[in-house]
Amino acid sequence: MTTTLTKPEDAAPPVRKSRKPRAARAGGHMHGGPIAYAILILFSIGSLFPLVWTAIAASRDNNRLAQTPPPFWFGSNLFHNLDVAWTDANLGEAFVNTTFVAGVSAVTIVFLSTIAGFAFAKLRFRGRGALMLLVIGTMMVPPQLSVIPLYMMVAKLDWTDQLQAVIFPSLVSAFGVFFMRQYLIQALPDELIEAARMDGASSWRVVWHIVFPAARPAMAVLGMLMFVQTWNDFLWPFLVLTQTGNPTVQVAVAGLGRGYTPDQSLIMAGALLGTLPLLLVFAIFGKQIVGGIMQGAVKG
Amino acid sequence: MRAFTRTARRAVVLAAVASLGAGLLAGCADDSGDSDSDGSSSGGGKGKTTVTLGLFGTFGFKEAGLYTEYEKLHPNIKIAENVVERNENYYPALLNHLTTNSGLQDVQAVEVGNIAEIVSTQAGKLTDLSKVSGVNKSNWLPWKWEQATAKDGQTVGLGTDIGPMAVCYRKDLFQQAGLPTDRNEVAKLWAGDWNKLVTAGETYKKKAPKGTTFWDSPGGLINAILSSEEKKFYDESGNVIYKTNPAVRSAFNLTAKAAQEGLVGAQTQFQPTWDQTIANTKFAAMACPPWMLGYIKGKSKPDAAGKWDVAVAPKSGNWGGSFLTVPKSAKHAKEAQELVAWLTAPAQQAKLFAVQGSFPSAPSTYTMSEVTSAKNDMTGDTPIGEIFGAAAKQIPVQVIGPKDQIIQQGLTDNGVILVTKGKSPEEAWKTATKTIDNNLDK
Amino acid sequence: MSTRHDIAAPPTEGGAAPGRPAPGTGPTEADRRRRARLSRRWQRDLRWSPYAFVSPFFVLFLAFGLFPLIYTGWASLHQVELTAPTDMTWVGLRNYTRIFDDDFFWNAAKNTLTIGIISTVPQLLMAMGIAHILNYKLRASTFYRVVMLAPYATSIAAASLVFVLLFGRDYGMINWALDQVGIGKVDWQNEKWASQIAVSSIVIWRWTGYNALIYLAAMQAIPQDLYESAALDGASRWQQFLHVTLPSLRPTILFTAVVSTIGASQVFGEPLLFDANKGASGGAEHQFQTLGLYLYEQGWVNQHLGRASAIAWTMFLILIVIGIVNYVISRRLRASS
Repeated sequence: MTTTLTKPEDAAPPVRKSRKPRAARAGGHMHGGPIAYAILILFSIGSLFPLVWTAIAASRDNNRLAQTPPPFWFGSNLFHNLDVAWTDANLGEAFVNTTFVAGVSAVTIVFLSTIAGFAFAKLRFRGRGALMLLVIGTMMVPPQLSVIPLYMMVAKLDWTDQLQAVIFPSLVSAFGVFFMRQYLIQALPDELIEAARMDGASSWRVVWHIVFPAARPAMAVLGMLMFVQTWNDFLWPFLVLTQTGNPTVQVAVAGLGRGYTPDQSLIMAGALLGTLPLLLVFAIFGKQIVGGIMQGAVKG
Repeated sequence: MRAFTRTARRAVVLAAVASLGAGLLAGCADDSGDSDSDGSSSGGGKGKTTVTLGLFGTFGFKEAGLYTEYEKLHPNIKIAENVVERNENYYPALLNHLTTNSGLQDVQAVEVGNIAEIVSTQAGKLTDLSKVSGVNKSNWLPWKWEQATAKDGQTVGLGTDIGPMAVCYRKDLFQQAGLPTDRNEVAKLWAGDWNKLVTAGETYKKKAPKGTTFWDSPGGLINAILSSEEKKFYDESGNVIYKTNPAVRSAFNLTAKAAQEGLVGAQTQFQPTWDQTIANTKFAAMACPPWMLGYIKGKSKPDAAGKWDVAVAPKSGNWGGSFLTVPKSAKHAKEAQELVAWLTAPAQQAKLFAVQGSFPSAPSTYTMSEVTSAKNDMTGDTPIGEIFGAAAKQIPVQVIGPKDQIIQQGLTDNGVILVTKGKSPEEAWKTATKTIDNNLDK
Repeated sequence: MSTRHDIAAPPTEGGAAPGRPAPGTGPTEADRRRRARLSRRWQRDLRWSPYAFVSPFFVLFLAFGLFPLIYTGWASLHQVELTAPTDMTWVGLRNYTRIFDDDFFWNAAKNTLTIGIISTVPQLLMAMGIAHILNYKLRASTFYRVVMLAPYATSIAAASLVFVLLFGRDYGMINWALDQVGIGKVDWQNEKWASQIAVSSIVIWRWTGYNALIYLAAMQAIPQDLYESAALDGASRWQQFLHVTLPSLRPTILFTAVVSTIGASQVFGEPLLFDANKGASGGAEHQFQTLGLYLYEQGWVNQHLGRASAIAWTMFLILIVIGIVNYVISRRLRASS
């Protein structure tokens, strides 16, 4: 917040040099002590326990789940239930659909939010304040009702059972714009833009060579958040898609455990299968997504 | 590292741009892909027509092998279903689809709690099934047929299953409390009068095994009583009369009394804690349609097998059941109507009962061996088919209304349950009626 | 919200032309024309590019966000049911005026406020602490980040299912633990404060890691030299946190506060599923029914779209009032400091 307007040392920085923004930097400045680890481990247990318990529940059968005390350890049905859930809900197709929908949404939102957030954070233009208020205002509208008129639109467009019915409405992410604006206000030093302007860079080049590099950590986080949000969305996909018409995972598992006696363990298995891919992706690519990008900027 | 991030950055941006286009393309691709995959083009390649069903959790046609059988009988038909486990999720979506005439399956199921509303508000969007060949009004119990028939005679839905109610009770607990255990004697304790059932509960309480109550929950009791009334919340001309109908008030008061005396468990039905009272044998009796036996089985420890029995309820009533409808905008309305007629025909209803325990709404099945010889693990040798069949024929023709569910929910979950938490019956009634009135007010 | 937005002034005539300083040589006529052309292009770029950058969002908003808003606003002035959403009967402002003596609305408003406070304040404080720790150099830091996001990756339905079991009155694990330490059992679903705490805990569980990650991303962008100079001045870790980290994070903190406030005002999935068998009434005595849930109940369960729309707009207006008050207060504070 204390950036100055004085020109940077290297008076005429070639644009490419600014790819190494000094803003995006190291993962940590101090080593964590034992207390830090203790807190993190406690927190991790708290975070994971309900998930582990979901897996435990998915490994049991219905009447064991109704008994007390509740099971504390895995039973023998986990793979059976996962298998049944997978086949019954036709999850293979659902995973492909959901990955596509969530991927397209996340990448598009990140891109659009970054350029819009940059404009709101760092550029001057007429109506900026009013437009920003409008962006925030759109977040305040409770979503539960909007789906009804939105569905009327989709019906008119004849988009039911098609993935774009889920993708397009999800792209209106005021959250993303607001998020990027707040991040860039802090993380993007004005003198970097100024220097690039001095150098004659067009707005687009500024975005490409300065804003994107500086915004990387936030872009990664926003992308993850949006991916997960789209992945887990239920109310809306459930209205526009069906299990025979391009289901997402949440739509596909909505039919699991049916019967006058809903099979809880099967429902849990479905919930687990719905969450597991996200966790796996984070576990495998987490370093590339968050860690890699953050650290890469420093070492480079 | 540096190289990685640079390319990664570019890749992200490129992907963003590309995916915008891809999204559009995929949309178009899906268009054509769709009609291929569901083979709906009846004139296309194989000439197969796919009929789709939209169902909520309780049907089990597929599990009973009925689709396979139908496809064998009709080689040019393929059947696909969309199932949503919970009707609370299914029904609002169905309304949205009906009002916009889009996203509808060829067959749509409707639960009995919603059928009055569908008949009174959506009949124009649904086809008349009474004229379909093979459909014969006399196949169904009269009240079941009437529930899905509009005033102008259009029958928008054909009945699948029903839920004739009896009383399921634990023989061991009844014995310990000094009550009879033979199902006929048990039925005699309360024949014809719900008050007598509560009296039996008072007897039970005097020698009740520790930690148990007579009845499972206040909701289970008031529901059973109300189901056996000819009129509950609406009169014949569709006016809401729940507040002035003495039958409702007396059902409420009787349940409240039972709750005050501690005869019912302080539970809400179908909550996990209620499930656990089944597993841990915390109550001795409950109102019980055939499907409830399946529920009990699903939630019990294995050693509970054979410990239950079924007695005739003080008065017969219905709890649960569904209908199948065919929307006018269905892609294959004709094929769908034929399928519905077949699925709801007595022979198929009997098969479904044998496999899934969904009790038939076709009285001609009650003498078929699938029904008469039916047994359940929980109740041993009890001829449940006969008991429930007899109960089914006693079910009164009840006046139903569009908001029955909301009213009943209010009386139960914002009403009698409060008495088990120490509120007076008066207070509970006030909270319930205030909630209901607010919920009904447009 | 008023941070500095200075950008470099556009280069003047004498300023550097793109990549061509060309010192020493006198400008030729062609050069000058070219420069003038570039300058015009420059002006156009500066003037219009902001609009180009924000326009995709607004185009999408116009396409998919505006109609629902207008419909909801229009519906709020009518009596209209879910069974026929285009069949409207004009009732003017009745749906709004009736809110004044709608006890259920005000009960829900109170619950929303208390649940909002119980869930948001600890959530953001914890998130800040966790982010601070994660900003240390750590072994297996990616592991913790992934774990942190695991609750957020869990759908509300799955999360609520588990928490309902944990909070069970007779056999739940939490009551079992409370019993062990001699506190005794709590009726988590039926007692007012207990149920609100239980519902809040689901919210806290799902969102703390998420906010921590957002804080972490922002902390990573704080220049290292700020800490170095603070350390040279003899600032302790805590002082560095107070005087370097927190001020730098101001925009992000503001962001999470705004988003959490809006999110808290709309909470409905957790209370809905915390007692799913009681419909959307939020407990027998509506003890944990939030405005979002009340809106859902009126719209989806009771099917009164008109009433529900009026509730939605009232919530919207309340939020705006809160926003304005907030803005005025923070302005005053800033002016006085």
